[in-house]
Amino acid sequence: MNSKTPNLTFKLVLLGDGRVGKTSLVLRYVNNVFSEKREATVQASYLTKRLVIEGVPITLAIWDTAGQERFHALGPIYYRDADAALLVYDIMDSDSFTRVRNWVKELQQMASKPIIMAIAANKSDLVRSKKFDLQDAESYATSIGARLFVTSAKLGTGIEEVFLDIATRALQKKKESAESFSPTPPRKGMLLVDDEPEKEPQMKCCS
Amino acid sequence: MDFTSSSSSSLTFTDFLDRMRHPASVDLVRSIKSFIVSFSFHSANSENDSKRLQDFLLAMETTIKDHPLWAGASWEEIDNAIEGLEKYVMTKLFSRTFACSPEDAKSDQEISEKIFLLQHFVRPEHLDIPAVYQNESAWLIAEKELQKINAFKAPREKLLCILNCCRVINNLLLNVSISTNHVPAGADDFLPVLIYITIKANPPQLHSNLKFIQLFRQQSKVISEAAYYLTNLISVESFINGLDANSLSMDANEFQEKMQAARLAKAAQVAPRNISTPRDPQPVYCDKEIHMGGRHYPFMEAEAGKLTVEDVHKLLSVYKDVVNKYSVLCQAVRGLSLNKEKLPVALRGDLCDCILEHPRADCNPAEQDVVEVEGTKEKEKETVSAGLL
Repeated sequence: MNSKTPNLTFKLVLLGDGRVGKTSLVLRYVNNVFSEKREATVQASYLTKRLVIEGVPITLAIWDTAGQERFHALGPIYYRDADAALLVYDIMDSDSFTRVRNWVKELQQMASKPIIMAIAANKSDLVRSKKFDLQDAESYATSIGARLFVTSAKLGTGIEEVFLDIATRALQKKKESAESFSPTPPRKGMLLVDDEPEKEPQMKCCS
Repeated sequence: MDFTSSSSSSLTFTDFLDRMRHPASVDLVRSIKSFIVSFSFHSANSENDSKRLQDFLLAMETTIKDHPLWAGASWEEIDNAIEGLEKYVMTKLFSRTFACSPEDAKSDQEISEKIFLLQHFVRPEHLDIPAVYQNESAWLIAEKELQKINAFKAPREKLLCILNCCRVINNLLLNVSISTNHVPAGADDFLPVLIYITIKANPPQLHSNLKFIQLFRQQSKVISEAAYYLTNLISVESFINGLDANSLSMDANEFQEKMQAARLAKAAQVAPRNISTPRDPQPVYCDKEIHMGGRHYPFMEAEAGKLTVEDVHKLLSVYKDVVNKYSVLCQAVRGLSLNKEKLPVALRGDLCDCILEHPRADCNPAEQDVVEVEGTKEKEKETVSAGLL
């Protein structure tokens, strides 16, 4: 019969100024696990990652966006039906943090639905002094209901954590909304999709 | 990316049609026909039409799953049937659902005209596309994929054109990342290339095609990568619509100048063609009218005393038409004489042809249109002619 296993997919949009290392961050996250069977990554702008949280299999559909200032106005086209946003900035570049604040403002103005947010202070490997002050960034993150993660795509630190945080909260929110309006159809942007066309094992004949 | 090629889709479509010819599917055929006919009872409205199609496809999916003809069918076979159904129905409803509103036609024309202007001067550097990605042959293939979009009527196939274009770009980016040992490119690199390719391709009816796919492709198929790349092209459309001096790495004044030059080039390219249409190279006098380039200029031998009040309306519109053409040509010709280098070669060629074909028009292409207008600015005409010589 039907071999469809409904899978919960969350759309996660990556926002961050050009060259803050968004792409490396995601590639590090997605490829680490699949490193042995590293499917020919044809591109890095759309990636998926499957994970299991509390026994629930979920898929993160990770949408990269062009971070250059000239494309800023296009943001809503990508994030308006997203479940979550990962805001990435370069820990050494305060301008890139200012841009994160701008995106957050825009995301908060979306009346349609609140979006889950996390902030990644990336390129932490470049910080020489351990005393780099993250207090401002941390209190800002708290003020918007997000967590701040210090990440390094180079060293692979903080990456699992930030995506896990997003996925966990997205699942949590899904459960809450499912409880409050159980019979409603899935909202736009939260789609039940098939597993990737993973080849099924050959049917074994009962010989 | 795993996009099925369109050739295999036509195979499965044949398969769908074969099944529909089967006597057992007579009930299905009846519901499909009555669904298509039901559209003629309502006036075209893309939102409603979309909703009805999506509901119909969902309902038919259930019907087909329970249908004896598909008993024990695999998920792929059912999927093929729905794909075939979507293609069949949308091909039948195409003229009603595609680019059906005047607003859509207007948006199509606006973006196409803007792209036409941008094509004159936008270079990869203006979008900060690194030189390593500048691969003419790969770009040409990507452009061709996008330009194929109107060769298909089914939403799935139109979407495939977009996905194929994106795949070509991604392959290019991937090859570059391998050969330069860099991290594979993300959206920071992908989007500017897609924008540039779209400008180069100027795909037909871009707005209507995007809208059509969004409304009439099965919703359950506009997910994952397909959704991502479709969204990217939608954002390209938005970027181009809003494109101004700040959108490009280009001096604001230079941008304005280039846009203006492109506009003039466009106007002048259109205007001389009207005059030098091979079918009627010279004005044809017939029944006191002039026919030129498909346009009518009546009243040529009319006398003031014989005109009626009803003629005023017509006269005024002819007058406006002539004055508009004249002023555009004046600008174009002036631009040409002041700024020859900046105008594209093609335009210079057009103007030369025009001058050669109409030697008696004092080398002034505008002359043909304005020669009979009373009281026009003779002096300006002279200036223009002088500028040309």
